[in-house]
Amino acid sequence: MNDIAFILIVFFLVCASVEPEDGRSQIIPRSEKNEDQKNSQTIEVGLTPATVTIDGTPYHEDQFAGRIQQLIEQNKSESERVVVVKSQADVPYNHWIAMTEIIEKAGGIVTLLLEEEQTITVE
Amino acid sequence: MILRRKKLEASVPSMAMGDIAFLLLIFIVLLARARDDSHLVWQPAIGTELVKPASQNASVVIDKQNITYLNGRPTLPENLATELTSLLGELPFGNRTVLFKVHKDVIAKFFEPAIEAVSEAGGELHHVLDPSPRPPN
Repeated sequence: MNDIAFILIVFFLVCASVEPEDGRSQIIPRSEKNEDQKNSQTIEVGLTPATVTIDGTPYHEDQFAGRIQQLIEQNKSESERVVVVKSQADVPYNHWIAMTEIIEKAGGIVTLLLEEEQTITVE
Repeated sequence: MILRRKKLEASVPSMAMGDIAFLLLIFIVLLARARDDSHLVWQPAIGTELVKPASQNASVVIDKQNITYLNGRPTLPENLATELTSLLGELPFGNRTVLFKVHKDVIAKFFEPAIEAVSEAGGELHHVLDPSPRPPN
């Protein structure tokens, strides 16, 4: 009886510990902290919760894949394939993942542009 | 008169042994659960062409409530880079995988600083995603 209980526990433990781990690997270079450091040749992708822009021009999701592919193919060197992704604070993770997946499939290297918070004290 | 020596029998109490094994098992399970993150509530985003990670050296979870966890324990986002740096130490490239589990609706305000922290600590980011559903035939 003891053995049966023991084997049952082990069985349930093994079942419970199977966690999904499939996903996508991503190497992200250190982010740009302010816009002055940004190379003028890099492509900038802007994300809002519903839209996506390339260098300020809005695109539909279907057109975005084609356009980003075209732009990345024009740039041969690795530094030119860097795509700076600037997201609004309220962009959901699933939208961000979908867009960065398109960029990486097109051969782009995703880097983030984060807004740096500054506190200014006025005397 | 001959006094016979009493024979002492040494037997293993099998029933008690079972109980000890059971308690040990519960102890080990509790210890293991304190380290893992299976109790956290999050729903993965959809992705395609998913792969298994080569190794797993740390896991960062951002759950439904936008709380950040490192290896199952809550942590402050501003401390994440330092904690990850000490956790990954001098591990070679290829063995610095950080599983990144973010609830699909968490917004950039919360997940981007975490990505930045992983990058700062020299971690190799692995987004844990759900395979996209197959299109109907």
